[in-house]
Amino acid sequence: MSEHGGLVGGFLTQVRERPDAPALVRHGRETTYRELYGQALEERERLASLGLRPGEPVGVLAAKSPAAVALVLACLLARRPFLLPSPQLAEAQLTALFAQAGCRHVLAPRGAGQPPRAVPSATADPLPEDTTFLLTTSGSTGLPKIVPLGREAVDRFTDWAASAFGIGAGTTVLNHAPLNFDLCLLDVWTTLAHGGRVVLVDPDRAVDGRHLLDLLTRHQVQVVQAVPMFYGLLLQACRRTPLTLPSVRHAVFTGDAMPEPTLAELPRLLPAARLYNVYGCTETNDSFLHEVDPAEAGPVPLGTPLPGVKALVVDAHGREVTGPGTGELYVRTPFQSAGYLDAERRREKFTAHPLGGDDDVWFRTGDLVRRGTDGLLRLTGRSDFQVKVRGVAVNTAEIEQVLLRHPAVLEAGVTARPDPLTGRQLVAGVRRTPGSGLNSLLLKEHCARSLPRAAVPAVLRVVDGPLPKTTTGKVDRTALDRLAS
Amino acid sequence: MSNTATIKQFLIEEFLPDLTQDQLADDHDLLSDGVIDSLGVLKLIAWVEDRFALAVGDTDLDPNNFRSVAAIDAFIEDSRQRVGG
Repeated sequence: MSEHGGLVGGFLTQVRERPDAPALVRHGRETTYRELYGQALEERERLASLGLRPGEPVGVLAAKSPAAVALVLACLLARRPFLLPSPQLAEAQLTALFAQAGCRHVLAPRGAGQPPRAVPSATADPLPEDTTFLLTTSGSTGLPKIVPLGREAVDRFTDWAASAFGIGAGTTVLNHAPLNFDLCLLDVWTTLAHGGRVVLVDPDRAVDGRHLLDLLTRHQVQVVQAVPMFYGLLLQACRRTPLTLPSVRHAVFTGDAMPEPTLAELPRLLPAARLYNVYGCTETNDSFLHEVDPAEAGPVPLGTPLPGVKALVVDAHGREVTGPGTGELYVRTPFQSAGYLDAERRREKFTAHPLGGDDDVWFRTGDLVRRGTDGLLRLTGRSDFQVKVRGVAVNTAEIEQVLLRHPAVLEAGVTARPDPLTGRQLVAGVRRTPGSGLNSLLLKEHCARSLPRAAVPAVLRVVDGPLPKTTTGKVDRTALDRLAS
Repeated sequence: MSNTATIKQFLIEEFLPDLTQDQLADDHDLLSDGVIDSLGVLKLIAWVEDRFALAVGDTDLDPNNFRSVAAIDAFIEDSRQRVGG
C-alpha cells in the first residue's frame, strides 16, 4: 500500500482533511468530498442489505453521474468486487456478462429510476483475490471480455498517474470518457484519491465541441485526458472564433493514433499545456508515455515504458526484435489484470514470457509495432482484424460474421477508412439475394441487435452482383469503398 | 405543414443513400440501430437550423427530439410556433 493509502485511503484522507473541497462538478453543480462520502455511505448500506456472500461481485449499471460515482465508491469502500459494463451494451450481452461474473444483483444509482434487473445466478469462476473493478473490453461481437483489476494494481496506477500529471488537492481534471472506461482510473479515480475536482462530461454531449470548450473554460480545467477525436472536436468548434485555453497544463491523448493535422494545431489552443501520447489497454492499463514535441514530424511514437513496465517485441518467427524491425508487442505492467475471467480467452492473451526469459505473466497486445533507427516504437497495425472506431476497439472480421448471419446476405466485407474527424469509419459491402429487398436500413437494424453502436458500419453498400475478390478468392476489402450501391 | 418529405430526403441523402422515401417509416427509431450516431445528431441539428432558419438552443439538444422522422417534424413545428412563426 502506498503512503497515500491508495485509492480508498486517499479518498478518505480528503474526506477527513478537506471535507468541503469540491470533488465533482456536473451541469455546473458541485459535489463536495463530504457530500460524496455521505452518498457513498448510503449506497454502502444498500449493498450491505443485499446479503451478499463474501467476495461475491455485484453488477453496477450506471450512466455517468455523481450518484453513479458514489455507488462505485460504496463498492470500493466495502471491498466489494463490482462489474461495471457499458450501459450501451445490448440487453443479452449485459445479462450474459453479469451471469459470467456471478452477479446475482445489479444495482443502478439511487434516483436513476431503472429497477435493477434480475439476473440468474450462475456457477461462475472464482474471482482473483482482492478484485475491485471488473471492467470489460470493447470487443465488437461475441461477449466483451471481463477484466478483473486487483486493489494493489489500481493503487499503484493512481499513485503513478497523480505524480505524472501533477494531480493533487484542488487540481481540476476533465473526465470525458464514459464511467465504465479504463480512462476513468486516471481522470475520475486518481483525482478523487488525491483531492482534485473532476468535471464530469455528460455522455450525451461528449461530441459537442462547443459544450466541451465551454466546460474547459468555465471550470479552468488543468488536466485533460481523452481520445484524439476530442481534440479534433475542440479545434473544429473554435475554428470561427479562435480561442485559447491557458489553464490546461497537461493534455493527454490515448486510445488511438493522433492525426498529425490535429496535433499541429494543439499548441495554439493549449499554449500552456504539455502534450502526451499514452499507450495502454484495459488489461494492463497504461504502459508507454511519450511527451510530444509538436515540431517533430511524422507519426507519434509510443514513447518509453512507464516505471516498472517491461516490453518486448517479437517477430513473425518468434524471435525478439532488439534493433530496428517490426513485431508484435508484449508488455508486463505493475497495473496489470490477473487475466480475463474466461480461462480460455485468458490463456490466449496472458502468456508466459514468449522466449522463456522470466516467470512473469505477459500480455500479448495484438499490436504490431516498428522499432525505428531512433530506438522508439511506433504502432503499425494489428495482428488481427481489430480497428479503433471512436476509441472503441472493433473487430471487422466479427462484424462480417454478423452480416453473414442475415438470411438475405450472400457475401460481406468490412473495412475501416480514414475519417478526418473521427479517425476511422467502418464501411461494409454486402451482396444480397436478388429480389430480397434488403437495404442498408434493415441491415443496420440487424447489426444493432448484436453489435455495440460503434461497430455498426456507418456506410453500408448493398449490391446485387458479386463483391470484388482478391486473387486468392477472398473479398477484397480494399475495394469496398469504391462499390456503388 | 408537415416537413416529413424534406426530412426524409435529407436523412436518405446523408445516411441511407440506397433507400427510397417509402422504405423509411415515419416512426423508425434512427438512434437505436445506429443510423444516426451522436455526431450524426449534430449534423442533423446543423441542417435543421439552416434549412428551417431555426436556432436550436442547448435545452433542445435532447436526442429524443431527433429519434425519428416524426419526432424531428414535431420538433420543427414546435420550434416554429415558439418563435411565433
